[in-house]
Amino acid sequence: MVKDPVCGMEIEPGTAFATREHMGQSYYFCSENCVKQFDANPHQYAHHSSQPAASATTGFNPDSSLLQVELPILGLAKEGQPGGVLIRSVLEKLHGVERVVMNAKAGIAVVDYDPETIKILGIVTAIKKTGYQVGGAQKRIGIENIRCASCVGFIEDELKATPGVLNALVSLGTQEATVDYLPEQTTLKELNTAIEGWGYKTRPAASEEPVDQQQAAHEKEYQRLMRRFWFAALVSIPVLITAYPKFIPIVKDWSMETLRLTWFGAALLTLPVLFWSGSDFFTGAWAALKHRAANMNTLIALGTGAAWLYSAVAILFPGIFPEGTSEPFFDVVAVVIALVVLGQALEIRAKGRTSEAIKKLMGLQAKTARVIRNDVEMDIPVEEVLVGDTIQVRPGEKVPVDGMIMEGSSAVDESMLTGESLPVSKKSGDEVIGATLNKTGAFKFRATKVGKDTALAQIVKMVQDAQNSKAPIARLADTISGFFVPIVMILAVLTFVVWFDFGPQPQLVYGLVTAVSVLIIACPCALGLATPMSLMVGIGKGAENGILIRSGEALQTAQAIKTVVLDKTGTITKGKPELTDVIVASQQSVLSDELLRLAASVETVSEHPLAEAIVEGAKAKGLALGKPEAFEAIPGHGVIATVDGRTVALGNLKMLKRLNVGLGDLEAKSDTLANDGKTPMFAAVDGKAAGIIAVADTVKEDSKEAIAALHQMGIEVVMITGDNQRTAEAIARQVGLDRVLAEVLPEDKAHNVHLLQAEGKKVAMVGDGINDAPALAQADVGLAIGTGTDVAIEASDITLIKGSLKGVVTAIEVSRATMRNIKQNLVGAFIYNVLGVPIAMGVLFPFFGVLLSPLLAGAAMAFSSVTVVSNANRLRGFRPKFSAK
Amino acid sequence: MTPVQIFITLGGIALSLFIAWFFWLAPKGQTRVKAGAGGVQEVAITVKGGYTPDIIVVKAGQPLRMRFTRQESSTCSEMVLFPDFSQSAKLPEGQEVTVEFTPDKPGEYGFQCQMGMLRGKLIVE
Repeated sequence: MVKDPVCGMEIEPGTAFATREHMGQSYYFCSENCVKQFDANPHQYAHHSSQPAASATTGFNPDSSLLQVELPILGLAKEGQPGGVLIRSVLEKLHGVERVVMNAKAGIAVVDYDPETIKILGIVTAIKKTGYQVGGAQKRIGIENIRCASCVGFIEDELKATPGVLNALVSLGTQEATVDYLPEQTTLKELNTAIEGWGYKTRPAASEEPVDQQQAAHEKEYQRLMRRFWFAALVSIPVLITAYPKFIPIVKDWSMETLRLTWFGAALLTLPVLFWSGSDFFTGAWAALKHRAANMNTLIALGTGAAWLYSAVAILFPGIFPEGTSEPFFDVVAVVIALVVLGQALEIRAKGRTSEAIKKLMGLQAKTARVIRNDVEMDIPVEEVLVGDTIQVRPGEKVPVDGMIMEGSSAVDESMLTGESLPVSKKSGDEVIGATLNKTGAFKFRATKVGKDTALAQIVKMVQDAQNSKAPIARLADTISGFFVPIVMILAVLTFVVWFDFGPQPQLVYGLVTAVSVLIIACPCALGLATPMSLMVGIGKGAENGILIRSGEALQTAQAIKTVVLDKTGTITKGKPELTDVIVASQQSVLSDELLRLAASVETVSEHPLAEAIVEGAKAKGLALGKPEAFEAIPGHGVIATVDGRTVALGNLKMLKRLNVGLGDLEAKSDTLANDGKTPMFAAVDGKAAGIIAVADTVKEDSKEAIAALHQMGIEVVMITGDNQRTAEAIARQVGLDRVLAEVLPEDKAHNVHLLQAEGKKVAMVGDGINDAPALAQADVGLAIGTGTDVAIEASDITLIKGSLKGVVTAIEVSRATMRNIKQNLVGAFIYNVLGVPIAMGVLFPFFGVLLSPLLAGAAMAFSSVTVVSNANRLRGFRPKFSAK
Repeated sequence: MTPVQIFITLGGIALSLFIAWFFWLAPKGQTRVKAGAGGVQEVAITVKGGYTPDIIVVKAGQPLRMRFTRQESSTCSEMVLFPDFSQSAKLPEGQEVTVEFTPDKPGEYGFQCQMGMLRGKLIVE
C-alpha cells in the first residue's frame, strides 16, 4: 500500500489513477483531482510526504500519534486559491500541526495534527482568525437532571475528545449541551453516548421539543386529575349517605347518636379529599394570595374550606349553634371537589383536540431520512439530519428537509405547502421543500435547512404564535376577569350578611349555604377560555386550508372587511404574459401555425418577456423552431431576422411603417385585441403584412369565481393596477369587477388604499407581499399571495399559501365563523355568570322558594368551562365554500 | 336586629372593604430588573400558582430576557403570553424557558397564562 500525497488516502500502487516521478521518488494518486493538485505544486506535497520516510533516522513515527481532520471551510470554494494559501500559511505556523492540504475547489482543509500538542478547537480558532468560518453543524442536546458544576467540565471534555467535535459547551442553567461538530465524522448517537458515559440521560433540547411532548404532559396531567377525581368520587358516596339519611332505607332508622358518629367519619374521610384531591385549589389560592391576586382556585378553596370548617365546628360543638343548625354538609366538600377536578380533566381532553391542526401540519414531516455520509447510505431520524448532508429520495417518498437537488430529477407534489395541484418537475440545482412528496424519479439533494429552519417548521411556528396571540375582543373579558374574583368574594360576604339578617330560620345555615354556592358557581375560567380556545381552532382551521393568519387581531379585523382591493398583476392574473391570439392577414398565404413558428423562431434570441411568451406558446403547440439569422433589434420598434430564407419582422405599428408594409384590415383587429387588454404585435413576412400575434397577462382560472363569491358575501371588490385604463377595464370585464383604479404608480397604492379607508370602510388589500408591502401594511388587513416558502412576508396579516384568490374568500369565511364562535362563547360565559351568581345568592327564594344547592353549583361550574371548550371544538367542523385540495 | 346581627353586618361590610383594599388598592411589591453584562436585563420567574415576581420593572430600549420555570403540572399555566409584544412561550414543567425581546415604549403591559388566570405586569420605564 502507498499513500496518495495529496489526500492521504491509502491505495494499491497497481490501481492508482496516475503516478508521478519527482526528485527521484515515485508518487501514486487516487484521482484526477489529486494528481492535478500535485502537478500544480509538486514540491509542496513531495516535501511533506517525504517526512514519514525520515522516521527511520529520527525515530519519530508519526502514525502513532498524528490525527487527520477534514475541515469544511465556508466560502472558500467560491474565492478559491488566495484564501486557501492564507489559511495554510496560518495553520502551518501552529505548533502541533504537521501538514495542511487545502482543496480549495471542494472547500476543504485537510490537517494532520498532533492531538497531544494542539486540539481541534485551536485549529478552528486559527482559521476563524483569518476571517473564514469552519462549516459544520451545531446541535443542542438536553441533559436530564444535571446539577453538579464539576460534571459540566467532565462532559465538555468528553465531548471535545469525541472525534469530529469542534467545540462543546454545557450549560447548567438550560440543562443543555451545545455541540459544534462535523456531521461527516460523528453522529448524534455518538454525542449522546459521550454524555451518557457520565451517567446522565439525554433528551431532545427544550428548544427543539416536538409537540408530542406536550401531548404526553397533557396525558399525564389528565391521569393525575382522574386519580384525584375517582378518590373524591368514591369518598362522596358514603358522605352523601350520611348527609341525607332520610332518603336511604336502612340509614333513616339510625339513631341520632349513630348518625353523629358517621359524621365524624365523614369529617375524617373528606380531609384527604380536601388536601389531596383538592390540593391544587389550596396551593393555587395561597400562591395567588401571596401576589395579592385571586382566581378560580381561591373561590373553590374558600367555598369548600368554609363548608368543611363550619361542618367540623358544628359536629364538635353542637351546643354553640341555635337548635337545628348543627347539621354538617361534608357532602359539599367531597362532591364539589370531585366535580371540579373532573371538569378540569375533561377540559384537558377537549383542549387537546383544539390543537389538532398543528398536529396535522407536523404530521406532514417525514420521520426518517436516507442520508449518505462517507459513501454509506443510512436511515436516520429526521431530527438528526444536518445542513450539508446528502440525502437520497426515492419515488413515493417524502422529502425530509429543505434542500437543493444535486443529482437526478423528478416530479414533486408540493400541493400541501404551495397549493400547486400539479406535481412540479425538479432537476439538478432546483430547490426542494421538506414534507413534499416525491412522485416519479429518484434524486439526491443537499440539505440546506433543517429542524426549525425548514419552511414547514416556520409555518408551524407562525400558526402556533398566532394561536396564542390575543384578539381585541378578548380584552373586555380580560378586564372583567381581572376584577371578577374579588367581586364574587364580596358578593359572597354580602349574601351571607343579608341571609343572616333577613333570612328565615336557621339563618346561619342559609347564609352559609348561599355564600358557599356563590363562591362555587362563579366561573372566571369560562370567561378566560372563551376567546383563546376558539382562536386556537379557527387559526388552525385556516392553516389547514392554506391560510396563515398572523394574529388574533388580523382574524378579528378580517370579519368586518367591506372592501377588498386586489392587485392586478400576479393576484387576479398569472403575472406572466402568455400567447393568446394568432391572427393571419386575409390576403396572406401563411398559415397560422407557420406564422407563429416563424415569429417564435425570430424571438428565440430576444430576451424580452413578451418574446418569451411567444416562444413558450409556440413550443406548447409542438412547433419546431428554426434558427434566426441576421437578427436585428430596433429599439422602440421591434425585431427583424431571416428564418429558413424568409425575412420575418415583428413589432409595433411603427415597425411596419418603417418597413413600408401596408396593414390592410390588421389595424382594426389590433384595436379589438388591445381593447381586450392584450398586447398585439404585427408580423410581416417577406415584406408583406402576415398577421398579428397577441400576448397578454391572462386571468387565473378561478379569479372570476372567487370575485363572485366575495360579491355574494356583500363585499365590494376593487382592482388596483399600474396598467392603462383600457387594459385594466378589459381585465375587470373578464372577472366581473365593480371598480377599477388604473394607472396607479406602485408608490401610490398605499395612498389609494388610504382613500378607500377614508370612505369609512374596513379595507383588505391582496397583493404579492414584496411590491405591495406598503399597501398591505396600510390596509386594515393585508393578505399576501405567496407560496408556503414565503411565510416570512412581514407586511401581511394573512398569507395565502395557495396562490388563488379563493383563499381570500376562505380567509374571510374562517374569520367570520371564528368570531361568531367567540361571541357565542363570551355571551354564554357572561350569561352563565350573570344568571348563576344571583340565583346562587338566592334572589329567586323570596318569589319561588327556590334555592340552589352547592352541589348543583359545583356541577354547573365544572361543566361551564367544558362547554366553552366544546363549543370551540365545534369550529373543527368548519367547511369552506371552496374546499381545500 | 339582634346585637349578633349588627355585629355580623358590620363585620361583613368591613370584610368587603378589606377584600377591595387587599386585591385592588394596596400597593404591590415591584421587582426592578437591573441590566447585567452586555446591557441585557435578566430576570428569573417562577411559575407556580402565579408568577414570582409578578410585577417587573424594566428600562425601555434595553433587551429583556425572562427565564421562566414552571413548577406545577396544572395545564392552566402551560403557556405564558405577552400579547402586547406578540410573544408567547410554552413552559414544559421543570424546564427553564427563555423569553426575549426589547420593550421599546414605556408603559404598563400585562402578561398572563392562556386563559388569564395567572397574571403579571411588565412596567417599562
